[in-house]
Amino acid sequence: MKSIISKLNKGFESRVRLGIMSVLMVNDSMDFNALKDLLEVTDGNLASHLKALEGLGYIHTVKQFIGRKPNTSYEITSAGRESFSEHLKALEELLK
Amino acid sequence: MDKQLEDLKVIREMMEKSTKFLSLSGLSGVLAGLTAMCGAAFAYFYLLRNPEATDYTKFQEMIILLADALIVLGISIGFAIYFSWKKAKKSNQKLLNKVTYKTLYHLGLPLIAGGIFSLVFLLRGDIEMVASSTLLFYGLALVNVSKFTYPEVHYLGITEIILGLLSAIFLYHGIIFWTIGFGFCHILYGVLMYIKYDVTK
Repeated sequence: MKSIISKLNKGFESRVRLGIMSVLMVNDSMDFNALKDLLEVTDGNLASHLKALEGLGYIHTVKQFIGRKPNTSYEITSAGRESFSEHLKALEELLK
Repeated sequence: MDKQLEDLKVIREMMEKSTKFLSLSGLSGVLAGLTAMCGAAFAYFYLLRNPEATDYTKFQEMIILLADALIVLGISIGFAIYFSWKKAKKSNQKLLNKVTYKTLYHLGLPLIAGGIFSLVFLLRGDIEMVASSTLLFYGLALVNVSKFTYPEVHYLGITEIILGLLSAIFLYHGIIFWTIGFGFCHILYGVLMYIKYDVTK
């Protein structure tokens, strides 16, 4: 049992992070406000989790202007996709 | 164990919520079906059953049919917006988001093309082809949009396509297929979806 549990990624322990990764797995990109609405969390909470995930190299930030408004959106990296898939597999293994 | 199960639930929910338009209510299907049946009944009893009873010219007849169809369409869209708005509010979601726009785009494109195509038939006086082309394009639009919403929409789309093809083969019974497709099928699928998605939650 221990070996399987150790495969669970500590980086995905929080529900918010799990949510962010799930959304970015199935969407090409998602902006900050859309993520906030989906996950129903506060600005600060979301921002800190996004920062942590970016620090781990799982997502990256795309800053651009839509008209004159600055817009920040997020995309999953290939490392993020791989780690999340492994995390999912480990979760499924545990439940078998 | 429970935590992992909860985790998987969250993952699944987030993936669905961020890619699918789930504010569609079965009730809008039922009401759209009833509206379509009223519209079809009006067209049949007032105009098509006994064309000699009224002294409209062919052109006036076309205008009346077009107005009838547009009123049915308008009322149905109105109901759809109202019930989606209510359902979104109930589940604490914003109705207008990225997924909604994507859904409207994939539904609207075949619908607008089909609408113009049918209008051309109508204005040329080929009224018989209108039932077939509206059913066919509506079916294709539903199949196209179904990947962004409930899976039942896919089957409703296929049903409409089959009815559209049948009404092209049995050209002079278009009103029957039209009533089945836009009336009966909407009510049937609306009730099924209402029971499956709206009642249990």
